[in-house]
Amino acid sequence: MAFDDYKADYLLVMRAEHGSVAPAFISKGEEIGDVRFDIPYQLITVLSRIYPQIPKGKIAVVVRKCDELALNELFKRGIIDGKRIFKIGLACDENIIDKCRCPDPVPSKVDIGEPKKGVAEDATVTRLRKMSPDERLKFWVRQFRKCNKCFGCTITCPVCFCENQCVLGERTLVAEKSIPPGLAFHLVRSFHMADKCIECGECERACPAEIPLLTFRKMVHADMKELYGFTPGDEKTVSPLLTTLEGEPLEDEKNVC
Amino acid sequence: MTEFNPTILAFCCNWCSYAGADLAGVSRLQMPPNVHVIRVMCSASVKPEYVFKALSEGIDGVLVLGCHIGDCHYLTGNHRTAKRFPLAQKILNDVGIDERRLKLDWVSAAEGEKFQTVITEFVSQIKQLGPNPLREVKF
Amino acid sequence: MPRIGVFICHCGHNIASTVDVEKVAEFAKTLPNVVVAAHNMYSCSEEGLGAIRKSIEENKLDRVIVAACTPRTHEPLFRRNCERAGVNKYLFEFVNIREHVSWIHAKEPEAATEKAKMLVAMGVAKAALLEPQEESESSVIPVAVVIGGGISGLAAMSALVSQGIETHLIEKEKQLGGILKDIAVIGPEMKSTKELLDKMIKEIKCSPKAHFHLSSRMTDMQGFVGNFEVTITGDDKCSVKVKAGAIIVATGGREWTPKGEFGFGKIPGIITQLELEKRLAKGDVPDNAVFIQCVGSRIPGRDFCSRFCCNASIKNALRIIEAKPNAQVTILHRDIMSYGTTAERVYRDAAEKGVRFMRYGLDSLPKIEKRGDGLSVEVFDETLDDVIGMSIDTIVLAVPMVPIENVKDVATQLKVPVDKLGFFLEAHVKLRPIEFATEGIFICGTARWPSQVSECIAQGLGAAAKASIPIRKGKVVIEPITSSCNIEKCIACGNCVAACPYQAIEIVETDGKRHAFVTEAKCKGCGNCVAACNNDAMQQKGFTTTQLSAMIDALVKNAMEASQ
Repeated sequence: MAFDDYKADYLLVMRAEHGSVAPAFISKGEEIGDVRFDIPYQLITVLSRIYPQIPKGKIAVVVRKCDELALNELFKRGIIDGKRIFKIGLACDENIIDKCRCPDPVPSKVDIGEPKKGVAEDATVTRLRKMSPDERLKFWVRQFRKCNKCFGCTITCPVCFCENQCVLGERTLVAEKSIPPGLAFHLVRSFHMADKCIECGECERACPAEIPLLTFRKMVHADMKELYGFTPGDEKTVSPLLTTLEGEPLEDEKNVC
Repeated sequence: MTEFNPTILAFCCNWCSYAGADLAGVSRLQMPPNVHVIRVMCSASVKPEYVFKALSEGIDGVLVLGCHIGDCHYLTGNHRTAKRFPLAQKILNDVGIDERRLKLDWVSAAEGEKFQTVITEFVSQIKQLGPNPLREVKF
Repeated sequence: MPRIGVFICHCGHNIASTVDVEKVAEFAKTLPNVVVAAHNMYSCSEEGLGAIRKSIEENKLDRVIVAACTPRTHEPLFRRNCERAGVNKYLFEFVNIREHVSWIHAKEPEAATEKAKMLVAMGVAKAALLEPQEESESSVIPVAVVIGGGISGLAAMSALVSQGIETHLIEKEKQLGGILKDIAVIGPEMKSTKELLDKMIKEIKCSPKAHFHLSSRMTDMQGFVGNFEVTITGDDKCSVKVKAGAIIVATGGREWTPKGEFGFGKIPGIITQLELEKRLAKGDVPDNAVFIQCVGSRIPGRDFCSRFCCNASIKNALRIIEAKPNAQVTILHRDIMSYGTTAERVYRDAAEKGVRFMRYGLDSLPKIEKRGDGLSVEVFDETLDDVIGMSIDTIVLAVPMVPIENVKDVATQLKVPVDKLGFFLEAHVKLRPIEFATEGIFICGTARWPSQVSECIAQGLGAAAKASIPIRKGKVVIEPITSSCNIEKCIACGNCVAACPYQAIEIVETDGKRHAFVTEAKCKGCGNCVAACNNDAMQQKGFTTTQLSAMIDALVKNAMEASQ
């Protein structure tokens, strides 16, 4: 890799050093070092943290398909200026695709790696959908009971851009000193994420209690598709939760539920 | 075993459904006493967070009642209500809470009878579904 | 620490006959922050209000809860009462235990009492978190718009311009007068409608403040009380925007067209009342006639009485007899509605002058057949208990008055409700007639329900009187239920900007931080932004998330405890 390839002033990649692989924000002129593409990590989250401190200059960042979608969500909201970002497309390999149960692992432009096929369905989602509501509830209660409110999921999420102002830290919805937090915590998070989540799976990787968070995200993702034909990560479309009923699939007098 | 007596929360908008509820009262239309009304200005101000909170804490059912589409006192307010709640229902379904515990319906200021019907049917539905399983769950 | 006083109202036996008011008061005493809980017979009476003020003073209360009827009637009264006692009027919370409890759970007094307790607990939880608010004022444009140039619209307009208030009247036809244009005289005094209308219109036109928009309709309405903007479009497609402080709806009604009842449309010689009026005006008097009352009225699906049709038929029967003394006129009815002294006298008069009145039933409708050049009518007279046959030339069907065809358009543009039948619905039948729940918009005439001409005129004058109040005051008070953004919690995601139906919110920058900002004058207090905000940054005064969450917590706590 070379800076000149991308006409960028900064480079954001995963780099191996001191025996481990971590995100590295490299300025032009510095040595690039040993860049790695086989460790999945949310570089967009890192980007959104660093961005406010970089007033000008172009940033080149390695993006998988999910990262590209996350960038679109941030561009749409004016949080990051799309003209300043140069995307280096990374096609994930089978190992990672399987772990993420990813249906669409190929970015719009592939610079690194070979495009591979995605996974058609997530086995856990399929199993859960076949269960009765009671069984499903037992499953999720057992999972969410493990939560210790570390907020790892929200901190690593690229489209969870509320940072210090996250409502889940408020006492009104989630009682003080409650660990594990009630189910409301996870339901509210899912609702907030519904029109933004791009299924990168970072939340699941970050969770110390190994709660299958990505599975739940996938279920909600399918709901949004079914209800509104909407998939987050689109460059232009405003979230259907913010628009009126004109032209929406729900448009008629009988949309009671 | 004593009969299950559900505790139900209802959000009613000031201009239509709350007035419809008042009309039902004035007309002395009888209905089961399980529904507790919170008055809001518009159904669009009902945050899905309230619904999730109520159901997580053990409330057996939540009703959100607004103006008919096109009649909202605040123009397109109820459009957004109509968008938010089907999604909230789906999320409830995904986690395993029966989505029928949340209901969105439209009741105008003149529809005292409809209010009576909506309440009676919802209470009966919730009785059928049984107590909210999260009542027993200690988090 | 808030000091809350709870006052449970008996409302005579309206509440107390079902809800155990004393038990609710006892329960209220156990709730957090409640300093005193009392019950009184009629909280809204002078005595009741005085007792509340006394308690506020004695107990140094700073929050007041009244558990009684619906806030939609007496909230302003109790708020003012708090103010008198030195408590900010927005530190008052109303709990509805009449319309929402005692009147709808009349057979379950125990459950009703429990529910009342829950609602009081929720009210107390909210009240503890209420903040004092100050009302703001908005100026009123001293112009009125009247929609409809029939008799009630004209009456309203004449009252307005005589006060010197600039008034614009919108009429869809080329001429003013509404339905009265087609009716030559009105009973019971047989007054000429032309004279009545001409006089009224002439008086109005004397004023330079009167503006007529004929052959025009309202095509759009924006704004709120004191600051409406009405778009008036003529048949020639030219539009003009009028800014106004008050709007009066006087769009009237129309005669229902029978769908073949009694052979209408199939057999010649069968006409409606309006058709008869037109003929009589031209001097075309039938030699004999049978009137059939309640055609399409007082039946399932249209079960109301249109009030004026009996008087109209009697009036027209008398006109026929006066023109042709030998005419045989019969009125077939299902009850004669001629209320008041004059109408009752005219009814007797008509009977004495030879008009025949026969009562028929819904189960034995008159049979109409063509016979030769004329018609035959067979009716089972309930009083005589026998079938009577008649040969006549003309049958007049007295049909109901129904709402105008495009009433839904008008209702949607103004955002006002209509009832099941399509007539406009006023704020409250007894306490707030002639006005809509929406401030600044008023209703008069047959658009509200079928009325006699004298009633329409009275309602028009009444609507004008009410409409002139905000115009005269020059300002209206804006209820403090607007939204605002907590800058610290805001991340400028733009959800609220997209969700606001009034485009009252924008993203601005303050000290380097981007956040949402609400223009209060544009905010109508719907709370859409609150629900769209993921960060709890948008809050609506009087309906904050902490307040509503506290209400949910109170219900959960007390209901779960009760069921254990």
